[in-house]
Amino acid sequence: MIETPQNVKSPHQPEIDRNVKISVRNLYKVFGDQPEAMIEFVRSGISKTELLEKYHHVLGLNDINIDMMDGEITVIMGLSGSGKSTLIRHLNRLIEPTAGEVILDGEDVLKLTETELREVRRKRMSMVFQKFALFPHRTVSENAALSLEVRGDDLGEQQSEAQYWLDRLGLSGFEDSYPYQLSGGMQQRVGIARALCAHSEVMLLDEAFSALDPIIRSQMQDLLLELQRELNKTIVFITHDLDEALKLADHLVILKDGYVIQQGEPQQILLHPSDPYIEQFVSDINRARVLRVRSVMKAYDGEVRPDAIMIDPDITLEQVIESVNGDTSKHFVVAQDDNPIGVLSMHEIMIAMVPRRASLDGLDP
Amino acid sequence: MATYTGFFDMLGLRDWCDSEKKPSLLSLRNLKGEELAWYEFPFPSLDNLHSACNAIPQTRDMTAGLETGFLTVRPALRTVLDPLTQPLSWALDGALTLFTITPWWALVPIICFLCYRVSRSASVTVLVAVFMAFFLFTDHYTYAMQTLAIIFVCTFICVVLGVPMGILMSKSDTTQRVVTPILDMLQTLPTFVYLIPLIFLFKITEPKLYGMAIILYAIVPVVRLTNLGIRLVDQSVIEAAHAYGLDSRQRLLGVEIPLALPNIMAGVNQTIMMSLAMVVIASLVSAPGLGTLVLDGINNLRLGVGFVAGFAIVLLAILLDRVSKAALDRINSAEAKLK
Repeated sequence: MIETPQNVKSPHQPEIDRNVKISVRNLYKVFGDQPEAMIEFVRSGISKTELLEKYHHVLGLNDINIDMMDGEITVIMGLSGSGKSTLIRHLNRLIEPTAGEVILDGEDVLKLTETELREVRRKRMSMVFQKFALFPHRTVSENAALSLEVRGDDLGEQQSEAQYWLDRLGLSGFEDSYPYQLSGGMQQRVGIARALCAHSEVMLLDEAFSALDPIIRSQMQDLLLELQRELNKTIVFITHDLDEALKLADHLVILKDGYVIQQGEPQQILLHPSDPYIEQFVSDINRARVLRVRSVMKAYDGEVRPDAIMIDPDITLEQVIESVNGDTSKHFVVAQDDNPIGVLSMHEIMIAMVPRRASLDGLDP
Repeated sequence: MATYTGFFDMLGLRDWCDSEKKPSLLSLRNLKGEELAWYEFPFPSLDNLHSACNAIPQTRDMTAGLETGFLTVRPALRTVLDPLTQPLSWALDGALTLFTITPWWALVPIICFLCYRVSRSASVTVLVAVFMAFFLFTDHYTYAMQTLAIIFVCTFICVVLGVPMGILMSKSDTTQRVVTPILDMLQTLPTFVYLIPLIFLFKITEPKLYGMAIILYAIVPVVRLTNLGIRLVDQSVIEAAHAYGLDSRQRLLGVEIPLALPNIMAGVNQTIMMSLAMVVIASLVSAPGLGTLVLDGINNLRLGVGFVAGFAIVLLAILLDRVSKAALDRINSAEAKLK
């Protein structure tokens, strides 16, 4: 039953031809008494505040279009109230949309009957929650085996499967404890074990690490990336933390007031924010730790300085700076499989690290 | 001359008023022939209007009408309710027989053992044994066992009916809106008022008469607290249950009822206590047990009999409360850690 690692993949390597796993098409959600009637106004471009003041309806999601690729981590980022938790609950229909489509493997989730939907939730989509949402009256092992129990697998299989994932997540010896006996980080690992036990292709993580303290959170992010390298699931991750988003994302979607203001490859969003709102976000983070050589290098034009040091395209700028002990006179050649693909200098690294507003008249064309 | 005679004359209704020749019941004042003082201005009540216009019914006609109405539907109600409630009579008769024919040296240890099983507390069990000894010593044992038998049966039925009702209420706001006023009414109606329609419906010798009265009165808390308990279950846990595809039966049995259990048990404790309160009053309608002794005390002014029986009831109340509270605490302490 255990999935074997297929193609080992770094989350930041550019991928060739992945299939769209989940496709969200023109999704709208209006909260209120007559949401259907409000759709007309929303489509004609009414603002969230106007809709609230004039018609007393809350605009939750506004024309969302996202393609989530098979085997990728799609991170949906936004501040509280941006609709990110609402959006993820549309994927497994914990919330019913007002209009639109959510297509999972070519099938509209929103058209499923109740029984079909339950099957999807049991076998194809699992979810991890911000507040863990473990069953307090069940042991860790029973919690982890939830999806198997719901499907009606036999008890022995449930236990061995739960045991495998609890071991993988470092919870050996806690099988018979109750959730209240564990720390927050351990509880969330039970939450993740519960999701992994389901063997679903899709995992939805709703602010899964937001309730944890910074060090534990960082460990959990590493754990998630490690598991993902092996399991290649389609992961949808919700967060309000840009550092977390940049660390995990293959595809980053930024939400504001219920609509997508920018989506794409995280490095590109960092280098080319399309909106002052994103600029504001981006200006706060440690760019050296996030930006990768590939994103800031100049294309290779056949000329290489003789003193150039060879570097990998997928390391961060921080790692480059560290490798030369901060010597600002150095030049680099970026090589993949010993083929030069770009050049970079310390000077350019410095410029790339200046937040976007100031770099308008610098590196950017 | 009644105050409102002129009013009906003015409206030209005199002929209609006088068409009703039924003799009317006169008030004491009318009989004495007293005149109204100048400051008295009678409210246009049914009786006062009647004295001016015979065609308007008196208040006692209204209550009599209600009674006639009830008596008219009574046969129909009986055909429906009689077979439905017959098992209650059997259960009560059976339990009463069982509790009274089982010899004391068997029943008292069984009761103590059961109390220990549910409470897991030695001190509570000792308390039960001491109280039982008191009942035996003062010859109140048989009466106390009769009361206990009735409470057992009625509480059991209350739980069997009340928990599902509470679950239904928790699942639908409409049901809650409809049922809540009914529960409010059952809880606020003076206990004697329950007995009135029941006396009309059933023969006074039938056990189901007092059984119904007790159940109607005591079922309220278990329904309310089941409803509350299920509504209070952490919504994030329910959401997780939805997200992992639990169907409604799996959610109810696997999540909602286990997590609502402390509240449900608090409801059961209340139900037991209210059954006891009602079983005493129900001795008015031939419920056996300690209540009959209290009634005897009142009817025949036998102070001592009434007092000792009253004291025995208090002991029984303490016994039932302690045992059910201990069981509740056991669940609570297990659940409190989970929260």
